[in-house]
Amino acid sequence: MAFGLRWGGTGVFLATEIRVQFHEWLAIVTGTLTPGALLIFVAILAPELIAVTLIGSLVYSMFLIGQRVLNEAAYIRIDHKLNELYHASPLSPEAYFVGIAGGMLVAYLPPSLFVLAILEILHPLSFVAWLVLAACLLAVWAVSSTIGYVVSTLFKDMKTIWPYSALLTNLFGIVPPVFYPIRFVPTEWRSLVLLLPTSGAAVLVNSVAGLETISGNEAILAAAALAVESVAMFVFGIYWARRMARER
Amino acid sequence: MSPEALRALDVRKVYRGRGSPDVEALRGVSLALRRGERVALLGRNGAGKTTFLRIASTLLIPTSGQIEVFGHDVVSTPEAVRPLIAVVPQEGKPFFHLTPREQVYCYLRARGLPREEAKARTEASLEKMGLDEVADRLSVTLSGGQKQRAMVATVMATEAPLLFLDEPTIGLDPFARRAVWDVLRDLTRKGCTVLLTTHYLDEAEALSERLYIVEEGAILFEGTAEGAKRQIGGTLRVSIENGGNHREQFASFGQSVEEGNALHVITEPGRIHEIMDVALREHLSATVGPVTLEEAFLTIVGRSIDAE
Repeated sequence: MAFGLRWGGTGVFLATEIRVQFHEWLAIVTGTLTPGALLIFVAILAPELIAVTLIGSLVYSMFLIGQRVLNEAAYIRIDHKLNELYHASPLSPEAYFVGIAGGMLVAYLPPSLFVLAILEILHPLSFVAWLVLAACLLAVWAVSSTIGYVVSTLFKDMKTIWPYSALLTNLFGIVPPVFYPIRFVPTEWRSLVLLLPTSGAAVLVNSVAGLETISGNEAILAAAALAVESVAMFVFGIYWARRMARER
Repeated sequence: MSPEALRALDVRKVYRGRGSPDVEALRGVSLALRRGERVALLGRNGAGKTTFLRIASTLLIPTSGQIEVFGHDVVSTPEAVRPLIAVVPQEGKPFFHLTPREQVYCYLRARGLPREEAKARTEASLEKMGLDEVADRLSVTLSGGQKQRAMVATVMATEAPLLFLDEPTIGLDPFARRAVWDVLRDLTRKGCTVLLTTHYLDEAEALSERLYIVEEGAILFEGTAEGAKRQIGGTLRVSIENGGNHREQFASFGQSVEEGNALHVITEPGRIHEIMDVALREHLSATVGPVTLEEAFLTIVGRSIDAE
């Protein structure tokens, strides 16, 4: 009950969402198409970058989960009105938010496990690198799930939402150095891309995995930014979920 | 605990327009529901029924006024209210990629019911709503009526002390509608209180013990369906085809309301002969029948329930 938060029913609602997603298994498979296509291109055109791209795929897939939160939360609110069914019940708004975000994480994790296995074969990671990878992916999930959930509450029509979903994915997942090394980024832009949760996470993992070199200050900047962003965003997500459970 | 399931005092809701005029959806609504009652909010589309229901079910904050559910204020203590209520949202649909059985069971579990109880209630609710044969089919493959029944079954199964149903039988065939009515009657016998909105007059009459007629955000009538009929000053209705142009000739027999080309005159049995004489003299055809809730609504509101 810290800060009046109530988590009862979170696990059940999370399991409900996983079940819903598993009935739509094709969407889970097609979610791997973009990173899969990029992996094929890189494997052909620049095979020396394949490990960086694999790590990028993991970060991108994790960010994509947040965009799935956007689509799912908007869909069940706008099209099905199920948010009303759940908000007018003992299930708290925070449990509802975390249930959707957690459900998407678990349901869409299998393709990432496959990518992890390939990474381990091609470029085995140290124990520390595994820890950093797990922490970074969790942080990216927290940030992107919150962005997804918040954006989902701002619109009244699904068609309006789709472009934002695509925009966010490209802005955070494709443009910054997620799939490619940070050395291709001009020096004056390096600090900025380290502040972005996706590229910051990718650069940190690449660095710990020995795939690229960054300075100590850059590592601290990226790690601190990611930690602050993930915690602050997730707390904001909970606040927003509680606020949006009741219209004004 | 409060003796009333719900009490609303002078509830107002103004939707602030962004670049358009404000809309006053509720203009000081006050009403009360006793425990175990079935009450209908009857009104045309846009009358304010859904707005009231959403405020009462903690989904919308009123501009002013107060609503208490079992003595708990819905604005300041929604956490205390939510375990006591369940809502069928207007045009709500079940998860398309769950089966009705999964839908009902998962919802009950999310509300905190133990596994075995949730299972038993799921089965009972699906059976009552006639969904047992399609209980294991994904909802996306069900007909519109079956989806709606799955939503109703989900909420019925909670047996929450206060149930809000926003147009629960919309899109249902007559048999399915009656199944919903039976389940609602059953629930109130068990002690649940039901507040439903509808614009089906037969539903309001058959199902509700009391009804409130809502128009433009205000309550125009409170009482029973029979009371509404009595209030309009007669027990019989004479419908005169093309009678609109002869309104003055019929004015002395009782209240009259025009609907399309027809003129409905509400009167007492003793005056039927006189009215028929006037109609025959003017070569107008007329039919006589008991006053229905439709006439009562038309007279109280001044417009048909189907009028836009």
